[in-house]
Amino acid sequence: MKLFQHSLLSAACACLLLFVVTSCYGQQSDSNYRIAVIPETLSLEVDETARLTGTVRDAGGNAVHDSVFFYSLSRESVSVSRSGLVKGLQPGTFELQAYALTPGNQRLTATIPVEVSFPPITDIAFTGRPGRMYADTRRPVTLSVTDAKGFDRNPGEVTLTSSDSSVAYVDNFGQLHAKKPGAVTITAQAGEATARRRTEVVVNPVTTIELTRKGEQQTRTGDVVRFTASPKNAEGRVIDDMPVEYSLAAQPDNNRGEASPAQVKEDGRFVARKPGTYTVLARAGTVFAEQTIGVEARDIQREVEVVGHALVGDVHTSDLWVWEGVDGNDYAVTGTWGGNGEAYFWDVTDPANMTIIDTVTVDARTVNDVKISEDGRVGVITREGASDRKNGIVILDVRNPHEVEIISEYSEGLTGGVHNAFIYEDHVYAVNNGRRYDIIDISDPGNPETVSRFELDTPGHAVHDVWVEDGIAYSSNWDDGVVAVDVGSTPAADSPETHEVGTGSPENPVQLGSYSYPSGWNHAAFPFRSQSTGDFYVIAGDEAFPNGLFVQDKPTIPAGWIHFIKFEGGWDHPKEVARYRVPEAGTHNFWVKGDTLYVAYYNAGLRVVDISGELMGNLYEQGREIARFVPTHHRGRIPNAAMSWGPHPYKGYIFVSDWNSGLWALKLTD
Amino acid sequence: MKRVLLLLVLFLAGFCHHTAAQTHHLYVAAESEDKVYQLAFDARSGEGDIRDSIAVGQFPTENEGPHGINVGIEGDYWFLSLAHGNPYGWLYKFTTGGNKFVSRTELGMFPASMEMSKVTGLLYVVNFNLHGDMEPGTVSVVDPRAMTVVSEITTGIMPHGSRMSEDGRYQYHVSMMTDELIEINASALKISRRLSVAPEESASASSAANPPGKTEAIAQPTWVDPHPTQGLVYVANNKSNEIVEVDTQRWEVSRRYNTGKAPYNLEISHDGQWLVASYKGEGATGIWNLQSGKEVARITNSRRIPHGVAIAPDSRYAFISVEGIGGEAGSVDVIDLQALQRVEVIEVGKQAGGIVYWKTTY
Repeated sequence: MKLFQHSLLSAACACLLLFVVTSCYGQQSDSNYRIAVIPETLSLEVDETARLTGTVRDAGGNAVHDSVFFYSLSRESVSVSRSGLVKGLQPGTFELQAYALTPGNQRLTATIPVEVSFPPITDIAFTGRPGRMYADTRRPVTLSVTDAKGFDRNPGEVTLTSSDSSVAYVDNFGQLHAKKPGAVTITAQAGEATARRRTEVVVNPVTTIELTRKGEQQTRTGDVVRFTASPKNAEGRVIDDMPVEYSLAAQPDNNRGEASPAQVKEDGRFVARKPGTYTVLARAGTVFAEQTIGVEARDIQREVEVVGHALVGDVHTSDLWVWEGVDGNDYAVTGTWGGNGEAYFWDVTDPANMTIIDTVTVDARTVNDVKISEDGRVGVITREGASDRKNGIVILDVRNPHEVEIISEYSEGLTGGVHNAFIYEDHVYAVNNGRRYDIIDISDPGNPETVSRFELDTPGHAVHDVWVEDGIAYSSNWDDGVVAVDVGSTPAADSPETHEVGTGSPENPVQLGSYSYPSGWNHAAFPFRSQSTGDFYVIAGDEAFPNGLFVQDKPTIPAGWIHFIKFEGGWDHPKEVARYRVPEAGTHNFWVKGDTLYVAYYNAGLRVVDISGELMGNLYEQGREIARFVPTHHRGRIPNAAMSWGPHPYKGYIFVSDWNSGLWALKLTD
Repeated sequence: MKRVLLLLVLFLAGFCHHTAAQTHHLYVAAESEDKVYQLAFDARSGEGDIRDSIAVGQFPTENEGPHGINVGIEGDYWFLSLAHGNPYGWLYKFTTGGNKFVSRTELGMFPASMEMSKVTGLLYVVNFNLHGDMEPGTVSVVDPRAMTVVSEITTGIMPHGSRMSEDGRYQYHVSMMTDELIEINASALKISRRLSVAPEESASASSAANPPGKTEAIAQPTWVDPHPTQGLVYVANNKSNEIVEVDTQRWEVSRRYNTGKAPYNLEISHDGQWLVASYKGEGATGIWNLQSGKEVARITNSRRIPHGVAIAPDSRYAFISVEGIGGEAGSVDVIDLQALQRVEVIEVGKQAGGIVYWKTTY
């Protein structure tokens, strides 16, 4: 027995020893292999190809096998086949990876640096106005620069010189300064590429400038005043091609550490943010003219009265719609976010006593959007997070809001989730999985039918929301900005140009125009024609959470603002002319009624903004804010934290849904 | 010799003690909560708890849907697919334990399950395209160090269930709407084989020969898992209520098991003894003995919709994520594979789905 125990122990120890030794030996063995790639680095031109070969070698440098595979870490800039055929696609420094197995099945990797050189610049062209300047003026030198592969290159790579600096010279910022009459040649050079432009400097004939203004004599902050400078020669003739620069001197009423209180654009438009006295200067060469303007406070602020509040504290509240029911009473519907798939129906006939009169529960976690048809008979709610992952929309009979009935559930092609929807003339425009919007005929609400889809064709395109007015759908598309689409435009449709009514239809949506901006935060869109000026705008709103969003426990600080886009000269000519930006806060949904903008500005609450007259600059800083209300409640979903989601001005009241505190009814007081 | 004996006794005693006192650590994703939960289950006390909850995504007011989750082969990072983007989904990378966000990269439409290959060190993520047109989907192959997509492999319609062979040489997934099991050569980054897993009498009707958009999937497979030691893979046929065993040498179906309603996920235990399958259609988990080919237990889950399966390395416990419906919280059911009963329920966020075993501590 003793011998048996001894043998057993010995065997166990031997096994342990063998295991340890084998493991160590195996590791040492595999660590001696490496991938040898030839060449070890690559330098390529764009479109040039090269062949990599890889072998697995042992410690002695002997080739073991050549089953080495390759891939690129920058496929759009340098490609490589599995077997090692490389092609440079774009200039820059990149990496390829090689991988293989050791005989012991351990993974080996190697990195191959690749330098794809920039092609030489081959073409430089002067753009902009022809080479004639008046003495004592300046203008930027503009260039078009391309390389041997047709890539646009930075004009900063080009050196600019003048043949006679005493006549004209180029400064470090690419500005050409004309000093005295004469002729010079400006040379633009990069490598072997050269372009020349002869510039003639002529006598500056301007002796006077007539500076006039157009606009209200009684100027308030936020009012845009148009200054026009007419440079004239000694005979009083206007010199049309004389460049004029505008600037201003400011004397704000409150000058204690005030930043720039006004601005003047290059076309002479002026707007003041603060009351004070301002002098606008116009310069043409060495000749100046000035005009002083007094600006008063806009003084339009009003108080907000809380008429009613219905706390929803157990779930986040999402979108809101208010309508007059077929019985003449007033009703509202609100969605819920991250909850149990509920939509709440409210009687808001007496806004001081808003009560839930019915609840519709569907298989969803979020009912983000709620909409009611214009005749108050049909409702649509959107679904996200359905347990069977078939989201889509739910169509409701809301003729009796006390007993709302589900007419149909429609998820055909919409299973990815519908975040937003809009009802317009018996059709639902449903945002489909953030990719496109589907247009669904609900003339027979029990049998909805998709009649078409609208989807952009840009790389990585997306859509967040859509709003339809007079047959034009305005969608908000993150990076792709706002997009206007004719889905059956009517004669009443706002348009920046004369267009053929009914170019598109629900079955055949036709894109009219679009505007995008660098942040890619476009979340909502709303068209509006100014009642005071007749100007047509599309307002684009942002949504962004650079500081995160806190669903449970603490307030959130979103970001983003409202962009005012003017299509002067047609759908193909969008221009962002103004913004409304509250600092340290972020926008969500908004509404325009008359010349007043109502913004649910998330953590900054409801903002009511005067958008009458021409718009320019940041309206927030111009005293255009009429009122604000920051809704919070100590028993809110997140206590004491405003997160205003959607406003709806209705019959003299402003209804607001707040993510944390439910439904509010507000009124502006005099 | 006494010293050696003492060391061996201590070693064995310590080993036995560790087995009883081990704690199992997992991650589970809650798809409608946009959160991932780090869980621990103490085998000695039989109690589980949440060690951390991690908010994920970029658009908090929209549901981005964390769906697939896995831990890298080195164990330093966990990877998460977010189903909804603008409109493409994302792959996120976090540190294990610290749960710090590292980086992310954009993938295809509704990226779902994933696994890393020992051979290539690459991550293979199927883009389920659950909400798109019936068109061929893709498998995104990602370098997890650089978090860069290095290849997109076109595959069947609605691919799902990305799992690697034990040696890391092959990736397996299923094509839900063409009733196929598909094998990818992990090194060549190419599809190497396809096999219909539909019931024989209907296989022709659901073959890949059907034009896109006209498929009539009979089996609708949703998951696949290779056997750890044998040349077999197991496929969950969600629609035809069966589990299919495929012989990878002969590349043919070798056995079919009739299961509970709508088997969705499955996993083979590391000792190769058990197959655990979630029956999404009946709120239960099936435990199969692979040697006998019999279902030895069908255990009712704590909620109605069981989703994912993860099994501890010691093959003792199975962890089932359970979705819940509507506002109902999700959960993770812990099943003792020896006792064949549910021993713990850990409450997590809504629509618990992707689940992965992380590590064992003692």
